[in-house]
Amino acid sequence: MGTSDGELVRRVLAGDTGAYAALVARYRDRLGRYAVHMLGDRQDAEEALQDAFVRAHRSLARCDDPERFGAWLYGILVNRCRTTGGRAARRARLFVRDDAALSGVPLPSPAERAEWDDTVRWALGRLTPEYREAFLLKHVEDLEYEEMAQLTGAGISALKMRVKRAREQLQIIFREAERV
Amino acid sequence: MFEDRQDPVDRIVSHLRRPVQIDPALDGRVMQEIADGETGRRPGAAVVAWRWLIRPRQLAVSPLGALATAAGLAALVWALPGRGARPAPAEATSRQFQFVVVAPRATRVALVGDFNDWDATRTPMRPSPRGGSVWTAVLPLSPGRYRYAFLVDGSRWLADPAAPHARDDEFGAPSSVVTVGGS
Repeated sequence: MGTSDGELVRRVLAGDTGAYAALVARYRDRLGRYAVHMLGDRQDAEEALQDAFVRAHRSLARCDDPERFGAWLYGILVNRCRTTGGRAARRARLFVRDDAALSGVPLPSPAERAEWDDTVRWALGRLTPEYREAFLLKHVEDLEYEEMAQLTGAGISALKMRVKRAREQLQIIFREAERV
Repeated sequence: MFEDRQDPVDRIVSHLRRPVQIDPALDGRVMQEIADGETGRRPGAAVVAWRWLIRPRQLAVSPLGALATAAGLAALVWALPGRGARPAPAEATSRQFQFVVVAPRATRVALVGDFNDWDATRTPMRPSPRGGSVWTAVLPLSPGRYRYAFLVDGSRWLADPAAPHARDDEFGAPSSVVTVGGS
């Protein structure tokens, strides 16, 4: 079993900056998935992720429970994605295909794969950022509503409503797409 | 396109749950940025030399050695920042700010924020000499926007009730914002 988050955090706080590299490697892909899906753009996602890691290191003394470093880091990333998402929306960027996100995953055919990937990305992009955030945290990252409330600052009932609406909207979007 | 009769939302969820690989080079960029930040906070060579020079110590030197030491000291003092060089613009425009919080039952309070890297040891607040429920700290701030909070007894975070709350705090604890304008 590897070194615990708490032990690594304590080593970093004691001056062992190198121990932070282990935390970065541990959470890079796990948190990267959320950022990629939330922002719909790999470059934006990596920027937000890098920024979240650096900000977390700078404020590591504020991590009340080092054993739950991952959850604390998650909160920082969710916030950074909101900021980045706002900037991206102002730039009116279009969603682009992200082949790297699909590497190594067996799917029926490249054409279908690309089509489905684009469709999912397009559908997520039609949700408001609040709905997309709630949907991803609940259904993709598998968080409890209490955890989501802590991360987002929103109330539990509001989050339940967002998840429900997101599901409804995705159903409608896909029904529309099937008719096209 | 959607031959699969599975609920499309469930299909989306299955699709999105697959692992995503982020470029491992990101680790190096993160650590480099951290290292750059730490280098930026390190005192300069002149400051380190000055601290070494003013440290109390006993020296036994010959008359010739004393002369050489005096010449070296004169050269070092001449080269120190601020001696002939203008102060940095940020230093020139910084102003003193007093932070106040009422915490009657606290035994210690620290002011923490962007200006001291949220380090609870760097800016301890002083209790009022009369009652002890009013805690204050004064520190210089250069123009900019700073988030801050009060850390009571090492564990309780308090936002400043007299200041706007930070909307972009991502660390899960309440914090406030002070914006220092340029002059």
